Formats: sequence, structure tokens, C-alpha cells
Amino acid sequence: MPFLELDNLTKQYGHLYAVENVSLTVEQGEFISLLGPSGCGKTTTLQMIAGFVEATAGAIRLQGRDITHAPANSRGLGIVFQSYALFPHMTVAGNVSFGLEMQKVSKAERARRVDHALTLVHLDAYADRYPRELSGGQRQRVALARALVIQPPLLLLDEPLSNLDAKLREAMQFELRNIQQQVGTTTIMVTHDQAEAFSVSDRVVVMQSGKVMQIDTPYQVYEHPATDFISRFVGKTNMIPSAPGHPQRHIRPEKLRLVAAGSGRVNATVAERFFLGSQWFYHLTSDLGELTVTIPNDGSAPQAPGTVVGVQWDEANMRTLAEGRA
Amino acid sequence: MPRNGALALTFNALVVVFMLAPLVIVCLVAFTPENTLSLPGWSWSLRWFEKVFHHPDFMTSFVNSLWLASTSATLSVALAVPSAMAITRGEFRGRGALEALFLSPLVIPHLVLGVALLQLFSHIGATGSFFWLMLAHVLIITPYAMRLLISAMTGYDRTVEHAALSLGASRWTMFVRVTLPMILPGVTGGWLLCFINSFDELTMSIFITAPSTITLPVRMYMYATESIDPMMAAVSALIVALTATTALILDRIYGLDRVLVGQR
Ligand SMILES: Nc1ncnc2c1ncn2[C@@H]1O[C@H](COP(=O)(O)OP(=O)(O)OP(=O)(O)O)[C@@H](O)[C@H]1O
Ligand SMILES: [Mg+2]
Repeated sequence: MPFLELDNLTKQYGHLYAVENVSLTVEQGEFISLLGPSGCGKTTTLQMIAGFVEATAGAIRLQGRDITHAPANSRGLGIVFQSYALFPHMTVAGNVSFGLEMQKVSKAERARRVDHALTLVHLDAYADRYPRELSGGQRQRVALARALVIQPPLLLLDEPLSNLDAKLREAMQFELRNIQQQVGTTTIMVTHDQAEAFSVSDRVVVMQSGKVMQIDTPYQVYEHPATDFISRFVGKTNMIPSAPGHPQRHIRPEKLRLVAAGSGRVNATVAERFFLGSQWFYHLTSDLGELTVTIPNDGSAPQAPGTVVGVQWDEANMRTLAEGRA
Repeated sequence: MPRNGALALTFNALVVVFMLAPLVIVCLVAFTPENTLSLPGWSWSLRWFEKVFHHPDFMTSFVNSLWLASTSATLSVALAVPSAMAITRGEFRGRGALEALFLSPLVIPHLVLGVALLQLFSHIGATGSFFWLMLAHVLIITPYAMRLLISAMTGYDRTVEHAALSLGASRWTMFVRVTLPMILPGVTGGWLLCFINSFDELTMSIFITAPSTITLPVRMYMYATESIDPMMAAVSALIVALTATTALILDRIYGLDRVLVGQR
């Protein structure tokens, strides 16, 4: 029996299918990301699991129990909202303790568990502050502690890191994964950032226009995207023209190498060059059309624009894709 | 920082002076030892205050008014909270119409209301009833509570309520522990405005009060038509003191500017 099961879950707003026949099974302790462009139905899916949006059709089963139409306050799930949704009139400790009060946990036990949860997110020194006195990252962690302290069977995170700057975001991704592994809570996180989805999840669910396009490990999604759309959405890609009637071929920019002119599979001219710190990023023009290539900045001299170079690759890294489903 | 021109400053100063001058003078007159309305010279006296406190009619009316203003303000706010919630959150037809209906008593003259209610009350035999007088006050003061609560609830972030539900709170617990505290400035400000408007209401109350339910403004009006003596000034000074104290307390707790705009 899977831990969580979404069975042809559908949400219709008038004629619009916000979510259409989404099916997914999640095992206990898994970290799953819902990844997709804006408006593809990620939040709607999460809100149906949380119980704030009523499903039009389909079923949600948690540990074998059908919760499709159960009221939100009977589901016992931990939720971290995109806007944090902290109670502004309560202290950090008050926020975290709220769920325990609802469960009628004794006062001493409450204090102990609140303290434990705040220690987990490194905020034990901030128990008496109000949310308005905290930074974005700290509020984020309070929201996480508040959701975790009730020991929910399932943790739902809606773009929990989207309001943070790049540095803090990376630190929080690491911390999120750490905490999740320590506590072992099954987690579903919504994001539209592929790097975030890849770095923290066991499996990624890629959505497009309300439908699930692919469910796979981050490595598989990146290396073997199911559709043209996914290939582009989860990174950059080069389309290599093929004979008419043959399927499209794609290869990732980092799988291409620059070699001496004439010794590669094709010759190309450097059109533009960008420095990204750890990498050089090239735009090339060739007989195969435009190519993008990333080369690690290993200290060797970069190619100047206008130079003619050869482009080499292993045929094993070339992917053949079905045309993107509508 | 915006800079005010000399003209704007003068204008504001004049407005404040014109508003405050009569109040200051009335309060000064209240301390006169004379029998006429005159400013006290070097000698001050509390005799007119003493007279107010020993005047049974004034004391009864004062208690009447306090009681009337508190109960009607409380009932108004109790009605306005769910209505403002429905209007700011609901997606139903006729929302605009409902809002207009709740605010409409603001534009009906109190004089007209007084006459109409007088007829209604004598029809249903409700003259002299404190309860019906209170309902009449609720009718005219509810728009003030509505205005403040609607502005307090517009832009209210409902995910905070969702958070409470997800943590296992019942709808009622959510309302008491989360919604209400967050709209508290709107509630308090609304209650205060209602209280002051009810306490101060004369035009309509003249028509619908009976001897047993005469309010302070009506009592003052009746008294003043017969004789003008410094006791009126003493009553006025007491009302000013009461209002000012309430405003000061509110300002300390929430900041008066926030309360009067009804925002968090
Ligand atoms: N209450 C609603 N009424 C009508 N349409 C809605 C409603 N809520 C969402 N939608 C539509 O459903 C679709 C999916 O919305 P959803 O919020 O799930 O997207 P999302 O994947 O979370 O996007 P984002 O990354 O921008 O948050 C969108 O086209 C949206 O316009
Ligand atoms: Mg969303």
C-alpha cells in the first residue's frame, strides 16, 4: 500500500482544467517535488491534498484512508505556505505551540516539543520574538518548525524558498533536506526552480498545463527527459537537425567539447562568449544551426569571438525525443 | 519628508483653533463660581460639578446614555463583523447592493428617521422601551462599524486562517484565536465610533425617548430650553473628559490614527 496516492486527481474551474488526471504514488519518507512553469497547476494540486481546494474528480488516499473530501482541519498535515502565514500577533514560540494546543498536549510537553522544534531550525534563541522582528529566512524556518512540531505524516511545502536571496536559498535547501532526513517526514514541495527541485528531491514530478509529463529521479529527468518541453524546461539544450521523418535529436551544452578546427564532428564560429565564473558559455554558429556550449573554467585560455573551432561529442550523450505532447 | 507651505500650516492651525476654542471655553466656564455663564476669574469652583452629581435626572440620563451607547455599540459590532466578512470575502451576487444597504443609514437624515420610528413605535406599542431605542441606535451607528471593519478586512491574508485550520483548529477556534486578534483594531475602532455616535445622538432620540429612557443629550436639550446655567457647561466638560480619556487610552494601545482608519 503506497503512503500517499493521488488517483486521477482533477480540478476544473469552469472550462479550464487547472489540474487534469494527476496520478502519483509516494512512498513513506520520500521527498517529492512538483516542478513546472507558472500556472501549470502545482499549487492547486497541493491545495487539494491540503484540503483547501475541493477536487472535481479523482481521489486522494493517505495511508489507505480516502481523504478526498475530509475537512482540512481533520487531515493533520504540516503545511508551509508560500507567504509563511505566521500568526502576526503571536511570538515565535506561540506560533509553533499553536498546533500542539489544538491537540491538547500538556503544557510541559508543549514547551519541550516547541523547544526541540526551534532547536531543529536553529531558532531556539528567538522564541520570544514576534514574526515582524524576523528576517525572511527566519520566518521561513518558524513556518517549518510550526509545521513539523505536530509530527505530521505528510509535509506540504508551497514554494517555501522563493522569497529568499540566492545564498540563503541554497543554505535553506540544504537545511530543508537535512531536517527532512532527520525527521523522516514524507514531503511534497512545489517549486518552479529546477535546480531546487533537483538538489533536494528523491523524485521530481514535472507538470505542464495541469498534466503530469514525467515522474522520475532528478538525474533521469535531466538526462532522459520524456518530452521536448521537459528537455528545455530543466536546463539548456541543443537541437540537432535530423533527416526528414526521423525523430528530433538533442544534446546538453556541457556534453559538447571545443576542439581544434577540423578535428571535431562539425566546425563552428564563436559568435558570443559569456563568463559565468565556474564556466564559459559560448554561442556558436555552425552548419547544424546555433549551438550553445558550456566549458568548465579550468584555467585554459577561452576562445575569442570570431574564432573557428571544432565541436566534438560522444554519440552516447545524444538524446532522441518524442515530439512534446500538447 | 513632505514640506507644508506657510498657507497650509496657517489653514490647519486655524481649523484646530476653531475646533478646540469652544471646547476650551466650555470647560473653563464649568469652573465658574458665578450663577451665569461666565469665565472664572481668579476664583475657581467645583460647585456646578457637585450640582450635576446631585441632580437625579442628569445622573439617570447619564447612566441611560452610557448603557445605551455600550449595548448598541456592542450589538452593532457583533452584527458588523460577520457582515463585513461576508462582503469582503464572499463571492456572491448582490455583494455591492448589500454593502450599500449597510451603509445607507448614513445618508438618511436623523430627523426623518426619528419621525418615522416614532410612528412605528407607537404602532407596535414600543414607546418607552429601552430595547427598541437601542435597536434604533444600532440602525444609525452600524454603518460606522461597517466602514472600519470593511477596511480592516480588505487585503486580509486568508492563508493565515488556512494555517490555523491545517494545525487542527476548528472554525470557531480559528476565528477567536486568529481572525479576531488580527482585525482587533478595526473592531475596537468601530466600537468606539459607534459608542461616541450613540452617546452624542440627539436629533433622532428626541422623538423616540420616553421619560424613563431619556438620554443625556436629550436631557441637556430639555434643560437648556428652560434655563441656561453653568451646570450645562459642567456636563459638557465631563463628556469632553470622558471622550478624551477613551481616545487617549486607545492611542496608547493601538495608535489612534490606525484605529480610526481601521487598519492593522
Ligand atoms: N480560484 C481559481 N479560479 C479560477 N482559476 C483558477 C483558480 N485558482 C487557480 N486557477 C487557475 O488554475 C491554473 C493553475 O493554477 P495554480 O495556482 O495551481 O498554478 P501554479 O502551478 O501554482 O502556478 P505558480 O507557479 O504561478 O504559482 C492557472 O491557470 C490558474 O489561473
Ligand atoms: Mg503556485
